[in-house]
This record gives sequence, structure tokens and C-alpha cells, in this order.
Amino acid sequence: MNPFGFSDLTQRYTQDIAELLITGPYFYPTTGHDHVSVALIEDDTLNTLQMPWPWKYGDHARALDALLDLHPKAVVVDILFVDPREDDTLPQLVEEIARYKRAGVPLYFTDATDTKPGEYPLRKEFFDTSVRQIDPSIDVNAGIARQYPVTGKCFGRDVGHGPCKSLALRVFEDNYPNVQVPPLEGLIELVWGTRTDPTNNKWMRVQNDDGTVGNCEPRVTGFARIFDAFFDTSAVRVRCPYTSVIPAESLFSGAPDPDVEKITKDHIVFYGAALQGVEDRSFTPVNGLLPNVFIHAMALDNLISFKGHPQQNVVTIGGVTLSNNGAQLAAILPVILILSWIHMQRLKVVRRRKARTGESEVSATIEYFMDKFTDFVWHMLALALALAAGLMLMLNLGLSVANWVEVVFVAVELAAMLLISVPDAIWGYLHHVAGGEPDQPREQGT
Amino acid sequence: MRTLLWGMALAACAATPVFAADSCANVTGDVVLSARTPQVDLYDSANGKVVSTLDRDKFPDCTPVTARAPNMMLKVSVNGTDYWVPPHMVNARLAGKGTAICRNLAMGEDTTKVGSTRGLGEDCPKTTAPGQ
Repeated sequence: MNPFGFSDLTQRYTQDIAELLITGPYFYPTTGHDHVSVALIEDDTLNTLQMPWPWKYGDHARALDALLDLHPKAVVVDILFVDPREDDTLPQLVEEIARYKRAGVPLYFTDATDTKPGEYPLRKEFFDTSVRQIDPSIDVNAGIARQYPVTGKCFGRDVGHGPCKSLALRVFEDNYPNVQVPPLEGLIELVWGTRTDPTNNKWMRVQNDDGTVGNCEPRVTGFARIFDAFFDTSAVRVRCPYTSVIPAESLFSGAPDPDVEKITKDHIVFYGAALQGVEDRSFTPVNGLLPNVFIHAMALDNLISFKGHPQQNVVTIGGVTLSNNGAQLAAILPVILILSWIHMQRLKVVRRRKARTGESEVSATIEYFMDKFTDFVWHMLALALALAAGLMLMLNLGLSVANWVEVVFVAVELAAMLLISVPDAIWGYLHHVAGGEPDQPREQGT
Repeated sequence: MRTLLWGMALAACAATPVFAADSCANVTGDVVLSARTPQVDLYDSANGKVVSTLDRDKFPDCTPVTARAPNMMLKVSVNGTDYWVPPHMVNARLAGKGTAICRNLAMGEDTTKVGSTRGLGEDCPKTTAPGQ
């Protein structure tokens, strides 16, 4: 099923193209814009505020306090506080955790996942507080963030209570208790939105190769975009992230800003950093390199947009989980059977007609074009059936586009070609070897 | 009548900030008008640590700002002692213009210039690419 990794490569390539051309710009909803945002510390933040990295705990406490003042739904801190270091402002961050608790706003800290037994995955001072602790692991497929885990390590009070949820899943279940999430197996296939939040468009500028300055909207549209998607993917990537970004400077300035208030109030805010030299970035299909905090944000966005039923690399039917190969086979077989039945009916009709009329009554040229037209219709029918099977898998069972589009299409197309051409070709070859002569009408026509 | 009452209520709400600003009209320059958050942290220096926390009603109104730090902290005198307060914890009237927050994504550096009181993105460079 996967010779030389061909299947994997084409699947992922197809996924990228589909997200850049179809799902991202047209189908992926912008629901998440009203629910998720990222508060980001960048190199520009450090320069503007003259606050060198790493920040003191008190600085993070200040930023988190400013966020709390803007009434978020929850805050996820995507910065690890593991290493013991002298810092007399540590109590401020402990106090900030208490303030979140008093305000009833869930606060999450990410824990280190590779600590040795007996070591704290989070500084003990924070570990012992009420802060919720989660696993920040992400999955990188062939160097690109296309999938997201379902489970993660358990920390703190969660240890010993069975497998724990991944970061986005845990945050979603905690904050959207009315949305029922089915038991998930396998991995979440991330769907990356390309329609950047309008607020980003206000303060992010894109420097084009020719020196002009543009906004976040795609430079290439229409047919050129389709062409570039296949031959120069980088030209159609979106430079600005889909999720709205709150610049950390705006938190520190304290100046009332309707935009910042809008993208913070009732939002789940991820608090993270994008700093040079800090290896916390991953390649994404639609944006290129992005800080990993956006991957968590996008995973949560998927869960919100798909109402707790994210796209996956597996399907679960009646409690039985099938791998994507099994699901694809199950989808392809009926399609091939349908095609075979139609083909057999067609052959019967042709034979019956020939038996009734003897020789063909139409000219060879017309017959040739009719055959070609029939082949074309045949292929289109095969593709339509394959597409229908794939869409059914996606819409009803949540199987990601990446996991069906290539195999379903290639297999069905191969089946169609085999049914139409190969038996005829083999028959013609054997007929020729055996010294047979072509039918008279065909000979006259050629 | 109901419309009139609503109008009066709205007018009262709209006038509140003006009243707050006017109530400190006798203080020139930068001034902290009042506390904004339920508690206000008082720092020993702009890059220092919290040494005291005051409840909102204990924080004095119309406190002159005697210095401003690059990290936006405001220096004020409370009960005769100098402290620094984070701007998000207070309502302040600050002279001058803030710095526009902009990002130039392709070049990976800021395009920053002075602007007035603004929302995100105001004063960022205008787009020059055709059709954008």
C-alpha cells in the first residue's frame, strides 16, 4: 500500500494542496476567530520594552494579570517553567495563579515531558498550586505539523486516573462542557485555516519580494494560485497566522484598545513566545514556519469549528476503529463493484447489439469517437463515485481528506482503466499472437 | 419617559470618564486618575518586585506620574513613598503619543513610528502592493 513511501508522500502533498486551495480559503469556517487567540512575546516585544529574555516570573505575572483584566475565557501558558533559578519575583506568579482561581478563569501551565523519575515537570512552587497542568506535545509528520495527538502525559492530580488528554482536547473539554466529544483514537488531522483574523490584518504587513508592502491577503489569486499551488507552494502560502494575535506590548502598555479587548474577552488565550534562537517553531502546510503555540491554537480551533468531532486518520464504526487503509479499502470496494457491474452491463448491451445487427451500422470514425466519449464518461463516473465515497467518509466518519483522497482516486482510476483497457488489450494481443485477424469493420475504418 | 431615562443614564455613563479626568484637572502632566483593577500592585522599581498591594479603594486618585519606564511602568508616590505601578492596573492620563505596534513579517523586523492613541495597527505603514 505504501511502496517507497509514495502513498504517504502523495497523501500529505494532497493534504497541503487541499488546504491551500480548497478547505483553507473556502470551507474551513472562521468560527474559531471568536473563540481562540494567541498572546505573543516576540523579539520586537523584548526590544520595545527593553526586557531581555528570559523574563522574570514577575514579568509573566504582569502580562498574565493584564490578560486577566481583559476577561478571557481561559488562559493557556505555553512557556515551560521548569528550571530552578534565582528569582525573587517568583511569589508574584504564584499569587497570579491564585488571582486566576479567585476570578474563576481556568489557567493552564504546560509541563516538561522528558523529566527523569522523581523530578518535577514544573517548578515545585507552581506544581503545588491549583494551576492545571497539561502536556504540550505535538506531532510533526515529515517535518510538518499536520497531525495532533489525542492523548498526553498525566501530571499532578491527573496521575493515576487513566490516559490523559492532549493539550487542545483537555482545554476544549474543560471549557466547552456542553459539547460531547466522542472517544477519539488515532490522531487528529489538523485542518489549517487560511483566512487570517481581520485584526491581524490591521497590524501585520507583508514585505513582498519586489519591495512593496502588502497586507495579509493572498497575493496570488484565481488560476495563478492553482498553478502555484502545484508548482511553487511557497508563493501561495499565507504569511499571517489564522489565529488572532495579541502583541505582548499591548498588555504591558495598559492603553485601552478595542481590538485587543475584542480578541481577548471570552476567548481562550494561548500565551506563548516566538523568539529567535528558541526552538519552538514548526513548519505548517499553509503558513510555513510558525511558533508551536499556533499549533495548539489551531488544534483547539478545529475542535471548536467541528463541534468536538475533528478530522482524523482513523474511522470508528460501531465501536470498532479502522486504520485509514482499512477505511479506504472498505470505501473503494463498493465503488469498484459498482463500476464492474456497469461495465458488464455495457458489454452485454454491445454484444446484444452486435448479435442483432451483425456488423456495425455506424462508421468507424463515429464508433471511435463514441468509444472515447464513453471512456471519458466512464472515468468521470469513476471519479464522481470516488469523490462521493471520500466525502461520505469525511462527513459521516470524520476521516481527513489527506487519508482518502489519494488512495481512493488512484485506486478507482486504476480500476476504471483496467476494466476498460486492459482486458481489451490482453485479448487483442493474444488474438494477434494466435494469428487472428481483426474484425472487418474495424479494418475498414483504419 | 422611559426613553428620557435611558438617555440620561447613557449620558451619565458617557460622562464618567470625563468627570474622572476633570476631577484631576488641577494636576498637570501625566497622572494616574484612579485604580482600575480590584488590587493594585506596587513595585519597588520599574524592573523590580511587588512590595505591596493596595485594594482599589485604598489607592489614591489623581496621583502624578513622576517617571515612565521603557517597560511602561509608571512611577507614583503613594503615602509619601515612591512606587512603580503597571499601567493596566490604573486609569491614567498620559501625555505624548504611544508607539505603534506593527510587524513586518517578511523582513522579520518592526516598522515602528510614533502615533497617537490608537487601536491595533493604526499608524502602521500603508500597503503599497497593487490591489491591496
